[in-house]
Amino acid sequence: MQSHNRNQVIEFVHIIIALILGLFLLGGGANLGVSKSAVDLLGAVLSVPEYPAEFLRGVFLSWSEWVNNKDSVFVKLKLLQEENIKLKALNAELLKDRIDAGLDANLREARVTLRAPSSWWNEIRIDRGGRDDITEGLPVFNNGFLIGRISSVSLLSSWAELLTSPSLMLPVVIEETRELGIIEGDGAGRILLQYIPVGRGIKPGMSVSTALIGEDVPSGLPIGKIAEELAPTPDGYAVYRVEPGADLSKFYTVSFLNLNKIK
Amino acid sequence: MLLLSILWILQDLLTVLFGGVMQLPELFLMGIVYKLIIDEREDKLWAIWTAFFGGLLWDLRWVGVPGFFTLGYVVVVALILWAWRVIPVHGRTLWVVFLLLESSQIIPNLVPVLILGGSTGSSFFISQQLYALPAFIICLLIYSKHANSEQD
Repeated sequence: MQSHNRNQVIEFVHIIIALILGLFLLGGGANLGVSKSAVDLLGAVLSVPEYPAEFLRGVFLSWSEWVNNKDSVFVKLKLLQEENIKLKALNAELLKDRIDAGLDANLREARVTLRAPSSWWNEIRIDRGGRDDITEGLPVFNNGFLIGRISSVSLLSSWAELLTSPSLMLPVVIEETRELGIIEGDGAGRILLQYIPVGRGIKPGMSVSTALIGEDVPSGLPIGKIAEELAPTPDGYAVYRVEPGADLSKFYTVSFLNLNKIK
Repeated sequence: MLLLSILWILQDLLTVLFGGVMQLPELFLMGIVYKLIIDEREDKLWAIWTAFFGGLLWDLRWVGVPGFFTLGYVVVVALILWAWRVIPVHGRTLWVVFLLLESSQIIPNLVPVLILGGSTGSSFFISQQLYALPAFIICLLIYSKHANSEQD
């Protein structure tokens, strides 16, 4: 019994000492200057076993952050996509300007040496050939507007197929609406724009230029303007007559691009 | 002592992992309280100083100012020592054990509030008790088995 009481007294004394020490630490520990060092030391020691928990917490937090911010990420993505589309359009315009500048700087003149009455609206021969860097497929201009493409080349001369030829079909774009269609000649002096669905708001006066055809013919080369709407095809496609910018009935010289210089 | 060290480290790691997300139970102190309850030796000084140094380390790791949890842990151990002596053996029911374990969750977190002022929301304590509930149940089950084997 005596031992029991003695133990209780010792416990009581230890509790009192521990409480006094605790109060002392609370009151003066922060001012002793050692607590900061102890905090740093303990933090450094515990950082080793705590590393996996820290890593997992990082993973968990980044995951939950992604889940919480998912909607705003999608909104940002949509904005970026819209911005990207605008930038692409701007880039296309800049490219077109560059091509136009290239056209002006690299157009070379050629004389028309033959335009046979039997194929008046189909082809012409010019006095430039392979010696002058002319290759098949090169666009041919008159008065700054596309009038045809080089169809065959010999050393000193070439043949160009005209837009009024029924066998030359070119993809084009309406500048104002960005609708795509195909132009082809009727062999009698007319150029027809086809394969555009009815009711797309295409009106006379709208500009027609080349769409992307291939490496030889860049997009954006001017062709002419919509002149009138003709009767639609039975398939439901509108047909328009295109008024070329160049006078195809009479011309004595043409221009062609030296694409090698542009490239 | 090894078990208590493991509990301290576990509590530390869980705080690193879930700190700020959920209020974690005082596993270390719960371990001391449980060990005190089932320990039949007369010498209980180990509990006082284990609580003291465990609380001090906790203060240095998570509070930055020593004393808060040091005092809180020692107060809890003093309370348990006193209560376990005062309550007769046949009165040491599961409810009493539950209340003593519960005190180990509430008192340490009240000390900073009592000393520094301010308030701790009731949701803080409620969430802590909820997260501590599985540990309570495990302790009570083990204590129940221990008490039954003592009776036999």
